[in-house]
Amino acid sequence: MAAAWTAAAAVTGLWLLLLLALAAATRNPDVEAGPATANLAPQSPAVVDLITGGWRLCDEAASATLLDLAARGVVGVEEIGPELSLVRTRGEPGGLRPYERLVYDHVRALAVDGVVATGALAEGSRDLGRWWKSFRRKVIAEAREQGLSRARWSRAHAALLTVAAALPAAAIGVAANISDKDHEAGIGAAVVSFAGLLALMGRLNGERGTAEGARAAAHWLGVRAHLGTTGRFAEQPAASVTIWGRHLAYAAALGLAPRAVTSLPVSTPADDSRAWSDYGGMWHVVDVRYPSRLLWGRPPGSVVVRVLAAGWFAGFFAWMLLVAASAFDVWPRGLVVPAALLAGLAVAGPPILFALSDLTGPVTVEGQIVRLRRFRDGGKGGDNARWTYWCAIDEGRAPEVRAREVRAMCLGGDMWEPLREGDRVRAEAGRRTGWIRRIEVIEGSRLRNAASYDDTGEHLVDAPENLGEVPVLPDPAPLRSTDQTRPYRHRRHE
Amino acid sequence: MIPVIVTLAVVAVLVATLVSLYNRLVRGRGAVDNAWAQIDVQLKRRHDLVPNLVETVKGYAAHERATLEAVVTARSRAIGAQGPAEQAAAENMLSGALKSLFAVAEAHPALKASGNFAELQQELATTENRIAYSRQYYNDTVLTYNNAIQTVPANIVAGMTGFTPREYFRAPGEERGPVQVGF
Repeated sequence: MAAAWTAAAAVTGLWLLLLLALAAATRNPDVEAGPATANLAPQSPAVVDLITGGWRLCDEAASATLLDLAARGVVGVEEIGPELSLVRTRGEPGGLRPYERLVYDHVRALAVDGVVATGALAEGSRDLGRWWKSFRRKVIAEAREQGLSRARWSRAHAALLTVAAALPAAAIGVAANISDKDHEAGIGAAVVSFAGLLALMGRLNGERGTAEGARAAAHWLGVRAHLGTTGRFAEQPAASVTIWGRHLAYAAALGLAPRAVTSLPVSTPADDSRAWSDYGGMWHVVDVRYPSRLLWGRPPGSVVVRVLAAGWFAGFFAWMLLVAASAFDVWPRGLVVPAALLAGLAVAGPPILFALSDLTGPVTVEGQIVRLRRFRDGGKGGDNARWTYWCAIDEGRAPEVRAREVRAMCLGGDMWEPLREGDRVRAEAGRRTGWIRRIEVIEGSRLRNAASYDDTGEHLVDAPENLGEVPVLPDPAPLRSTDQTRPYRHRRHE
Repeated sequence: MIPVIVTLAVVAVLVATLVSLYNRLVRGRGAVDNAWAQIDVQLKRRHDLVPNLVETVKGYAAHERATLEAVVTARSRAIGAQGPAEQAAAENMLSGALKSLFAVAEAHPALKASGNFAELQQELATTENRIAYSRQYYNDTVLTYNNAIQTVPANIVAGMTGFTPREYFRAPGEERGPVQVGF
């Protein structure tokens, strides 16, 4: 029996050696930065981001694409103030690349009167994970079309590894059969181990550079060296694209323009506490607070029960302390019970009044949902998890100012589920307890039916998320620049 | 000796606090001035577009003298306005006059079809939109600044050093409701 397992381990080890040998043979080419040059080659900023980032797409690729669209006049970026810039769409552009169209459609979906605040680019109803995946696939498809990139495993590699994986799987199956003859676990063990080995093979797959890609990357690192010495791109805002043109877009893709990139959060998740709302027709910031749920965000009845219990405990402890104090003649005996009652009342009284006021006279809140969030509130994982459902409504108060603050309120999960950010709603709620009793959608979010993207059937690229280097090997292809290290590159999937 | 050290320490803390508050107020005032400059740029751009628009309309509807004169007068008032409130009132009047002008265009298909007119109309709408955002940004900055100079203890420093509240950029009677853009 032991011999069978030893043989299975040996065969598996051989397969792993084969995998590592192929991984080492197909690692990314070394790239030496070329001489500094101002010559912009025909690749787009997104493709440049891919090939100069070790064939892994970085977060700034989407922002760099938007900057490129601005440099080409498809959109405009205008600075209103240090903390407010606008992206303005200009007619219907033609001839966009698929991933540029994806970025443009996102901007257009958000735009009100053709305008969206740069900070609001993180908003929208898209599934960011799927959006990024689609964007990435489209960029990779173009890089492959240009001969700059290819999949790590060729068909021959994949076939060889798959066929070879059958051997250790069979060996494991036989060993399992020998060790447990009663249950005939061999077939199951073989299937599971075969699937595991294929999963490992898939996990190590990714993009790798071609010789052409390495030459292009070397050229772009030369451009990077030039841009790094000629313009102070790190401090340039996105609106400076009007002056710098495509150079700023490439600087962003090469990690030289962090300020411009962070001001265009195209591929960044929306902030829980800082929302951008277009309620009233103009984009503005809404600071969202999620108060502690000690007495907030609970049905008024529940608040009454909680504070009654809290009041009882406060009164009881006060009574115990005062009884002890009166035993030492520090507190008059006659005032023990009244003082304890007063302590209990002081704790429970005001919240009860608030809760009763909300119970008897809820107010109508009308506005636009700016944040819908669900936070874990105890319980174990899976079906037993307990959640708190939050809804922040921008009521459009003080329309003359940009900054507004709203306190998110809680509601039941069944009411929360069909809502969407951007919906205009009318809610019946208690302002003091932060509990929404009833809510109705007056007008669905315009983003519900916004032009979306289609990543099914288009550019079906076998490009798993773990693009790039083999994690179990030392980094074989660091991009070397002659005089600089890359100061700013975001990795999404690491 | 100890009382002297304590007194010096208290005075040093007081001076540092005053300097810090003063600098904060100066930064706030600078931000308001900067935001106003943004509005000013956009308003100037708008004022510069109006004569071209009037000339274009004249070419097709010279008989609409009253409307054209109203636009020219409103523009002159807007250019000469002093301070945010007066400026906002004058700009509102100019907006009203421009709306009348665009209503005139509706009655003249040749004018409406003119490429030059359409371009100017688009340019004005874009400028209006920028003004709306600049105004929102300015008012936000003013709110922050006014709050800063009116809250304790900064109000003491503000009172001593001559910081005064700034006006919002809004005409009387338009305290509520967002700006509607579009011609």
